[in-house]
Amino acid sequence: MIALTTPYLWYTTRATGMVTLILFTMVVSLGTLVANRIGGTIVGRFEINELHRSLTMVAMTFLAIHILTTVLDSFVPTGLISVVIPMTSQYKRVAVGIGAISFDLILAVWTSSLLKLRIPNTTWRSIHWLSWLGFTTALVHGVMTGTDSRKGIGLIVVVACALTVLIAALWRFFGRPTRAAGRTALSPLAVTTGPQATSGAPRPAPPSRPATRSARPLAQTRPAPAPPAPRTPGGPRTPGVEQRPFPTSPLPKSKKRRP
Amino acid sequence: MGMRRRSGTFVLQVNPILCDGFGHCAELAPELVKTDEWGYPIIVNEPVPLANVAAYESARYAERGCPRQALHIQRFSEKKPH
Repeated sequence: MIALTTPYLWYTTRATGMVTLILFTMVVSLGTLVANRIGGTIVGRFEINELHRSLTMVAMTFLAIHILTTVLDSFVPTGLISVVIPMTSQYKRVAVGIGAISFDLILAVWTSSLLKLRIPNTTWRSIHWLSWLGFTTALVHGVMTGTDSRKGIGLIVVVACALTVLIAALWRFFGRPTRAAGRTALSPLAVTTGPQATSGAPRPAPPSRPATRSARPLAQTRPAPAPPAPRTPGGPRTPGVEQRPFPTSPLPKSKKRRP
Repeated sequence: MGMRRRSGTFVLQVNPILCDGFGHCAELAPELVKTDEWGYPIIVNEPVPLANVAAYESARYAERGCPRQALHIQRFSEKKPH
């Protein structure tokens, strides 16, 4: 290995490791915001998605610096091969190995996202679930190898990152549905006044999202196109109002199935 | 930009099976996509001329920004109108 004896490589490794952890915390949290359909009123949903993508690039840059300085540094004996293959490092075999696993997972998620328009979306989604595992292994790697993550401000940062992603994970898995349901913020009927997030115009505070579709009385919204109202007994169905939400060509009505 | 053909039309198409109603397309291409009450897209049916560069750029942003890749730009030459 190249004999680079300056201590600044080692300092750079430690610093960029910590910065990378913070950046990936932000990336995972923003991805959770996208998946849970946050935004659309004050901040556009696409803006959160773009921030998620852009911050990934920043995080990957810092990760590259972190790995390169580790390999180049001669203070700890890690080889080039132990970047991707776990359990090949002489220095802290298990801890650096977990870091290699994390790097492999992050690389898979990142590459699949770069190729997103060329691979099936289900494949991309399956690979993208690995980002939770990638972050967890990165956190474990940081705690196990961490020179700075055991005490003081480093410990505070690591615990804060872990808690943030834990909350994001709980929110992702238990909090919100995977498909749009109810009146979303983007619906023209949900916000009766004001344009959408693309115009940049100031708008009033968004109304609180109704828990169910029937929670908001239909009289508050614009009359047409009316949704297929839940069939309450005695609820008046307005005659002459198109009940189907999509103004598409009329589909042939299916015959009523008899049980 | 310069190599693009300006003749012909395009239509932004949505795959309703893939679409989960994230609504990014309505933000990225508001001149082409409206959302229905549940946040699913209602896309302009008529072919848009490719000469409308702003609309085509919006369509490309929407295609790239869709979290489910449910959007596809279908282009038509002038000889075969939609």
